Amino acid sequence: MTRSAAARAALALAVLVPLLVLAALAGLSLGAGNASIANALRGVEPDATLVFRLRLPRVLLAAEVGAALSIAGATLQALLRNPLADPFVFGLSGGAAIGAALAVAAGGTVVGTATVAAASWAGLLPAQLSAVLGALAAALLVVALGRSRGQLRPERALLVGVVFNSFASALVLSLEAILAPEKTQAVLLWLSGTLGYETGPVLSAAAVSVLLPALVLTALAGRLNLLALGEEGAAALGIDVEATRLICFIASSAAVGAAVALTGLVGFVGLVVPHAVRLFVGPDHRVVLPASAVGGAAFLVLADAAARLLFRGLGAEPPVGAVTAVVGAPLFVFLLRRRA
Amino acid sequence: MSDPALELAEVHFRHPGASGDAVSGARLRMDPGEIVGVVGPNAAGKSTLARIAAMLLVPSSGLVRLAGTDARELSRRERARRVAFLAQDEPGDLPFTAREIALMGRAPHLGLWALEGESDRAQAQAALEELDAAHLSDRPVSQLSGGERKRVYLARTFAQGAPILVLDEPTDALDLRHQAQLVEALRDRARRGGCALLVMHDLSLAGSACDRVVLLDQGKIAAAGTPAEVLRAEILERVYRARLDVFAHPRSGRPLVTVKITPGTA
Repeated sequence: MTRSAAARAALALAVLVPLLVLAALAGLSLGAGNASIANALRGVEPDATLVFRLRLPRVLLAAEVGAALSIAGATLQALLRNPLADPFVFGLSGGAAIGAALAVAAGGTVVGTATVAAASWAGLLPAQLSAVLGALAAALLVVALGRSRGQLRPERALLVGVVFNSFASALVLSLEAILAPEKTQAVLLWLSGTLGYETGPVLSAAAVSVLLPALVLTALAGRLNLLALGEEGAAALGIDVEATRLICFIASSAAVGAAVALTGLVGFVGLVVPHAVRLFVGPDHRVVLPASAVGGAAFLVLADAAARLLFRGLGAEPPVGAVTAVVGAPLFVFLLRRRA
Repeated sequence: MSDPALELAEVHFRHPGASGDAVSGARLRMDPGEIVGVVGPNAAGKSTLARIAAMLLVPSSGLVRLAGTDARELSRRERARRVAFLAQDEPGDLPFTAREIALMGRAPHLGLWALEGESDRAQAQAALEELDAAHLSDRPVSQLSGGERKRVYLARTFAQGAPILVLDEPTDALDLRHQAQLVEALRDRARRGGCALLVMHDLSLAGSACDRVVLLDQGKIAAAGTPAEVLRAEILERVYRARLDVFAHPRSGRPLVTVKITPGTA
């Protein structure tokens, strides 16, 4: 391969963007009942309502969240120099779970009422808002504990994040035991990753909070490559290692934060998609990051369509996070064996 | 007299938490066209001195000047355009190909998005060719042998286009042919005004490759000068605490250093 990075990125997107369009078409036409896109375009009901009012927002949401999780996963794998890093590795999943559980626990109290007011202003449910706040607080804690001698030590932050996530799940289990089970069940289901029906303004805000970090991260992708050389190797090539890490961390956390707010914790997307992409395009992040964003969007749109199809057999729609985990876990093992 | 390309003025460095200086009062000047060797026993402070010269470590006191300018006044990118650095142990397990590693040397010349142009690619290719690594271009460095990998990382420093090279044990892991090739390439750069600071263990190779040699002992410069001035048995035996023989090369007159080992009876 002697093509430049820009040419390889363009080539990857030329393959992946049509794939995303196909996935979106599948997402619009498949579901509990079939709908014809052609009919919907001609204004025939119920196809028009089904396609444009119900499924289009969900396809958009799935695309946004898939892109956010995949680009964040690819970035954190580079930042931590660890292939097992996923978007929630910095304690984000634990923090979100604690936040959501606390929102349930606080229901009816003054704090609970205030949370409900603040969340409805942002167009979110109280559990969503407090999950995002919990995730951000956890990330800050993990980064603070992951520093030594004034520098963020990725290995240390990774260990702290993993331990914090286990600690948090123990805490949430304890809260569950205390609270009424019917109160917590809905929240836990949402936490496991569910795509809902969001309004236009929320979707637009989410698009900005995904696109902006994606743009920043893609611009820094060349620097992420150099970080693979180690702190000193990157510094010798003129990189401000600490600043690069911090910006990448903030940008990926912002993208993941938006995703968590809207869908809870959709697992495996941020882990599997970057690995699959690397298998095809190689390790260069200038290609891996944009390709992961588009590939992740397509992956989650398809997973959501599959979840809705499963309604036909199961009589209930499984959370999309369950679908991505069921597909993602074996896929990850397969990719791992292909690479070795 | 013009400013030296690189100058260390009374440089001290102490590692955080250490009780003594790793480098103490080092003075060094390197003019354009010079190849300077840094030698000394293990833990004498050679690598620390190289990192200070490459401005990867900030001295506790003293100054580093690049062509007369205090290095602290230069941006990281500007420094990286002037000084290229090779670490003793560059990572061996990377999935990047040799070409991608060589292209990384162009980073200080690229803008946001870090997209390289034709001339960057040509310089990376030329660097790989100069170090006999062009045939490895498409192979991931994780699959290369130690010596091949070393040449690829050397190509990265060559591609950087910096007038000053600071190389920590560049000949380590290279076979004899590639050692000679590297020294020739460095001489070629020196003739065009470049200069190089080489940390070396092989004293005979240092004596033949370098214009000047700096001998470090416990963080201090024990001797500095031409190879013939520094690489003398009475100096080296004291610093290395080993019994040594030093001969003059029959043709060049450069010092050849060997250890005295009592021949075995087997």
